[in-house]
Amino acid sequence: MILRAKEISKSFGGVRAVHNVSIAVPENSIFALIGPNGAGKSTLLNLLSGIYQPDAGSLHLEETNLIGLPAHRRVRLGMARTFQKIRLFRQLTLLENVLAGFHIHQDAPFWKYLVYGDTGRFREEARSLLAFVGLEARSGERAGALPYGQQRMLEIARALATRPRLFMLDEPAAGLNAAEVDFLLKRLEQIGRQGVTVLVVEHNMDLVMNVAHRVFVMDHGEPLFEGTPREVQHDPAVIAAYLGGEFAS
Amino acid sequence: MSARRIYFVVSILVLAALPWLIATPYWRGILVLCAMNVLLALSLNLVIGYTGQLNLGQSAFFGIGAYVSTILVKSYGWNFWLAAVAAVGAAGLLGLALAAFAVRLRGHYLAIASLGFAVITYQVLVNWENVTQGVRGIYGITPPFSHPAALFYLVAGIAVLVYVLIDNLVRSPVGDSLRAIREDEVSAASLGINRALWKAFAFCVGAAIAGLAGCFYPGFVGTLVPDAFNIVESFTMMAMVIVGGMGTMIGPVLGAIVLTFLPELLRGFGELRLMIYGIALTLVVLFMPGGMVQAWMALRARLR
Repeated sequence: MILRAKEISKSFGGVRAVHNVSIAVPENSIFALIGPNGAGKSTLLNLLSGIYQPDAGSLHLEETNLIGLPAHRRVRLGMARTFQKIRLFRQLTLLENVLAGFHIHQDAPFWKYLVYGDTGRFREEARSLLAFVGLEARSGERAGALPYGQQRMLEIARALATRPRLFMLDEPAAGLNAAEVDFLLKRLEQIGRQGVTVLVVEHNMDLVMNVAHRVFVMDHGEPLFEGTPREVQHDPAVIAAYLGGEFAS
Repeated sequence: MSARRIYFVVSILVLAALPWLIATPYWRGILVLCAMNVLLALSLNLVIGYTGQLNLGQSAFFGIGAYVSTILVKSYGWNFWLAAVAAVGAAGLLGLALAAFAVRLRGHYLAIASLGFAVITYQVLVNWENVTQGVRGIYGITPPFSHPAALFYLVAGIAVLVYVLIDNLVRSPVGDSLRAIREDEVSAASLGINRALWKAFAFCVGAAIAGLAGCFYPGFVGTLVPDAFNIVESFTMMAMVIVGGMGTMIGPVLGAIVLTFLPELLRGFGELRLMIYGIALTLVVLFMPGGMVQAWMALRARLR
């Protein structure tokens, strides 16, 4: 298990967004987190990535305790993420977006940069990441000018620049057309094959059923079911949560 | 030779020739003032333009540099250069003090806090009379070089050096990180960027450079009164950065040059001067929000 959360909870005011959720993500797997709107999936991802700290529970990346560790420190441990609502550096070029992702691998002291300026380090690697998501031809354009689907892919390239071991994606297929979903699916599988554990929050069932090894279902901030995609598809509780009680038979 | 190199060499030659092309003592003085303003605009641009932190307190660091260096020389008999190093250090430390608040604040809240910081600093300069001599001021301050051309070369030389260093910095990975913070802090953190650390860095360096500019101001004017570091100065610096073009290297330099010479050239209009100046500023912000650099880019794109 690369990531283990035990009975973590988070409330906002009186709303229990995540309640007593335990989750164990096996290494080298593609792990999907699904559930109806408002199930607490994004909150859970924000807890895992350090944007929020949980009210209770424990959280470990392998042996490292993550509780209290701010988001930027978790990146150094090999955790990267994308956002449901795209958060690119819109005024910067595609290349600059990806280069910023190499921040934790820049180990020269700042005074060296005062003297030498840009060393061009990681530039090639940034270009190949852009090529990986099909954007190498647009590397000099402003990120904000990209069409929506490509913005999602750029965010993936930028996060990959941190060289994660655990890559968390928050609804990467939202707003993509069928061809783009297909491309995304292939890329996710490829990322998985390179030894990166992928944790994906998703609404798109096609994507989940095709790519995930294990699926974790949440509803009302609580765990509902966990299993293989096939098991999830046939679980009455899951069907009820998605389609309403009367369809469960 | 690359185009950058050619621009650089030409600028150096122009700078070297300037005090001899403009030989009247008054205008030579304005040249020195202009070089100082370039330093101030560069310092503020690092914080506002590259790191995106709305800092309205830059006049405080300018003032700290001026007062610390002058007091060390006049009251404690320090050598000017040693005093300048201490003043830059003091301004930098104070920049870190402001950063301690700044890392918790954003946008308008940071603007108000930094403005308050400038007001407090100004009040300290006015009221701590046994050290600063308050509104009575400190008189008979001599510059490190008495020849106005030499003083210009000194300050302009420092401005060029600071320009080159910041230019290197913003094109390096540090610049990538600062711009990332400017564009989206949450995103920056998701890439492992410690935003508190890098904001503090920008504030500290920006404050130190403003403090450095402050070291040369009292000797140039000959007297030192708190009013020179009124919060209005912060807005003037901000205007230079915006008129020139925030977040570009050459923009704030151009802005500083224009806003140093414009009020002087408008002296013939007497009382109308400030009104024309104000209207010009408003028009710039309305019609070219990206400043002179953006206007130039738009013009070039149209001519092609």
